[in-house]
Amino acid sequence: MKRILIALAAALVLAGCSEDRTQVLKVYNWSDYIDESVIPEFEQWYEEQTGEKVKVIYQTFDINETMLSKIEKGHEDYDVVCPSDYIIERMLQSDLLLPLDRDFGSTPNYIDGNLSPYIRACFDKMDGKGKNANDYSVGYMWGTTGILYNAKYVTDEEASTWDIIKNPKFADRIFIKDSARDVYSQIILKIKEKEIADGSVTMDGLMNYTSDADIAAVEDYMKEVKPLVAGWEADFGKDQMVQELGYVNLTWSGDGVWAIDEAAELGVDLRYALPKEGFTVWFDGWVIPKYAQNVKAAKYWINFMSRPDIVIRNVEVTGYVSVSGAPEVRDAFTDEAYEPLDLSYFFSPADTAVCANPVLYPDKADIDRSTQEHDWGENTGKLIEMWSRVKGDNANAFTYIFIGLVAVAIAAFAFFANAAKNRRKKSRRGRK
Amino acid sequence: MGKFFARLYLWILLILLYAPLVFIAVFSFTESKVLGSWEGFSTHLYRNLLTGQMQGNASLLAAVENTVLIALIAAAFSTLLGTVAAIGIHNLKGRKKKVVSFLNNIPMINPDIITGVSLFLLFVFLHFSQGYVTVILAHITFCTPYVVLSVLPKLQQMNPNIYEAALDLGATPSQALWKVLVPELKPGMVSGFILAFTMSLDDFAVTFFTRGTIGLDTLSTYIYTDARKGGLTPELRPLMTLIFLVILILLVIINVRQDRLQKQNENK
Amino acid sequence: MGKRSNWSIPYVVFLVFFVVLPLVLVMVYAFQDSQGHFTLGNLAKFFTDKDALSTFAVSIEVALENTALCILLGYPAAWILANKQYNKSAVTIVLFIMPMWINALMRTLATAQLFTMLGVTLGKGTLLFGMVYDYLPFMIYPIYNVLAKMDKSYAEAAVDLGATPWKAFWKVTVPLSMPGVTSGILMVFMPTVSTFAISEFLTNNKIKLFGTIIQENINSSMWNYGAALAFIMLIIIGITTLFDKDKEQAEGALI
Repeated sequence: MKRILIALAAALVLAGCSEDRTQVLKVYNWSDYIDESVIPEFEQWYEEQTGEKVKVIYQTFDINETMLSKIEKGHEDYDVVCPSDYIIERMLQSDLLLPLDRDFGSTPNYIDGNLSPYIRACFDKMDGKGKNANDYSVGYMWGTTGILYNAKYVTDEEASTWDIIKNPKFADRIFIKDSARDVYSQIILKIKEKEIADGSVTMDGLMNYTSDADIAAVEDYMKEVKPLVAGWEADFGKDQMVQELGYVNLTWSGDGVWAIDEAAELGVDLRYALPKEGFTVWFDGWVIPKYAQNVKAAKYWINFMSRPDIVIRNVEVTGYVSVSGAPEVRDAFTDEAYEPLDLSYFFSPADTAVCANPVLYPDKADIDRSTQEHDWGENTGKLIEMWSRVKGDNANAFTYIFIGLVAVAIAAFAFFANAAKNRRKKSRRGRK
Repeated sequence: MGKFFARLYLWILLILLYAPLVFIAVFSFTESKVLGSWEGFSTHLYRNLLTGQMQGNASLLAAVENTVLIALIAAAFSTLLGTVAAIGIHNLKGRKKKVVSFLNNIPMINPDIITGVSLFLLFVFLHFSQGYVTVILAHITFCTPYVVLSVLPKLQQMNPNIYEAALDLGATPSQALWKVLVPELKPGMVSGFILAFTMSLDDFAVTFFTRGTIGLDTLSTYIYTDARKGGLTPELRPLMTLIFLVILILLVIINVRQDRLQKQNENK
Repeated sequence: MGKRSNWSIPYVVFLVFFVVLPLVLVMVYAFQDSQGHFTLGNLAKFFTDKDALSTFAVSIEVALENTALCILLGYPAAWILANKQYNKSAVTIVLFIMPMWINALMRTLATAQLFTMLGVTLGKGTLLFGMVYDYLPFMIYPIYNVLAKMDKSYAEAAVDLGATPWKAFWKVTVPLSMPGVTSGILMVFMPTVSTFAISEFLTNNKIKLFGTIIQENINSSMWNYGAALAFIMLIIIGITTLFDKDKEQAEGALI
């Protein structure tokens, strides 16, 4: 008992006192998004490089918006955080980020030498209201959104279009990622297939808020899908796919890789396709919020995270693909078992035939069909509400009739019980 | 005949109620990653669990540790606070007593999510960084009323003059407290402590809202995150089976003893 | 003696700080916009938000059905358990409460997995089944408690006076056991409405209940709307508790 009390007292003291912030680095990252053994290594490396001690406080989040509100509303002093692409845009637009200076003294700059030219170009395309995202953030992991499917039940042909999620053949076998933005982006590409082909709209243009009619079109499309859906999955879709409870899953490449590997062990043939109508790529990147207290250690952290050996370890533990275009990284994930891919866009122009996993590193021909998502600013609410209407809205006539009947029954019961009571009272009085 | 159907009914209900638990227990003896696929008998998962060598996430053991530690601390503080409060409430009169009893009822009437959200807003409002301390405070909040309610009946049963008599006979107030009052209240305190402990162990919603972002996990939140990711840590199966067995044995022992005591009393 | 009533002061302070103040904050946040200005917009949003309203309706429907099923299944069980003729051991009643002691999420997940294994598609039906699993003990126990303490001579007297056993049951036993039923209802109804996590697990995220939208809003930092939804629930709790005054006894009896 005593020990517990001491522990509690210590906890209270720790919570109360403020530590010397130049010796603390507060990192806020997605959960399960790092090889945790690199954290103590960073502390050691930082001391070697700068002669200063630092203690990393590592915290995690599961939803971008949670992180954002902590910084935006709570002014929490995280030094380095890892939001998704559209949140980086939003943070740039609302002046929440500090520019990243690349002066590391005698320490090598691992950031700029290794970052893939493709990722750099994507960050250039982010809308930061005049600010270039590359000056404020450095990519961490990236991936695509596509269709994971079970080859025993689904043909490659069927999986080559987003329309597969509307195919009644797979009723109750379809899992959809519970992500408003990702689903909207893929489905609008499907709906506007013709317009994209004839050039009247661009894929990039569709990634911003276009019109309420477009939102309604996606909503209608998804409401047709809804009766066939077995579940809106936050993260459990890959597991359902491995167990062959689902045959089709609109999901992210990171989940796809995980599921394909797991399924292979059980002899289940899962595959991942990037539909012909086009698809989106996503990125997460390190940024330094403006309330950061230890900017120096934060930028060293970002630098350390870009060091090829650290990149490789993080990729191996998390299963996601790094933004690093370093040759060491390319070699680490080359495997002769795969077909050669044209990855010249990602690594160096000479890399036109790299034997890598196409789920992790899509071929250039696929990437040409891709686009990236953007923040919708004040129109974000419309997107979220559309999604709620698709998923929710489960009440039907029966619901309301049932509730009505019960309400009437309770009222009637209360009325008669009351009447009976009054009668009894009266009769008692009468007897007196 | 009636007896047969009555028994049958109870048995059917029990089988239905226990089906998921038995399901977990059965599949704790196979190594498969997913619950429900049988890959041959094995006690491997038990060995993993007991030696702490998990295939998957080692943070399961940390979560169990947190759960127990938080429950112990919260139950201890609740018992202390609740007992003192019960003595106070017992000695209150009239309107004051009503008001305090009403306040005491609020955390019990509120569904977990309301308690969780309201405390979350409190900590946000006060800029109190969330973690162990906030979770423990939250648990004390919803556990203490149960302690108060278990101690109050003991106070009502107690002869109010004993404490005064001890003082009259020359005991100091603290002696009177420890030698007279506490022993009288002990059964209530113990059941209050146990109740608080189990309430805290079982809690999910309140912990979920007050644990902050430092990666603090109790068993409930661990299972929640694990399940949302799909694929529960296989070692959860033996863990749940063991917890189930321990509780079952404890409860049966307690009740068989009570049964026996009762029968002895009846025979006398 | 008067002095010892002061012993309640620390707890009263604690309650004010950790119970009253948080509830006041729920109200404050419910009537504020994100800039901290007074607004009725959050409540207005609920009444115009089709998703929230239909989730609310579905929650009430599920909670009503769950409560009704729990009474239908639980009352006979409690009656049999309380009847010395059929059940002599206290261990049987313990068996009925015991599942409550196992982590509810784990039980729910196992139930869902069991359904998938049996080839049942997760949806409304499995949701109800799972809810009944989770809440049945909360219904059985308070009813059992009242029935076990009830003086059997009332029902016997009714039979002696010429009532059929069936009539004696309906006219005597059932009315006398109503306090148990109402506390059972309280322990099943509101918790079902406010459930989160459990409903998602049982339906693959297809059906969510009111608790989930509160949680979603709080977690995506729409605190004011989340608080408004919590406030609406508080009002309903206030109304339902009016129906029942024996709650503390029933919960106290759980010990």
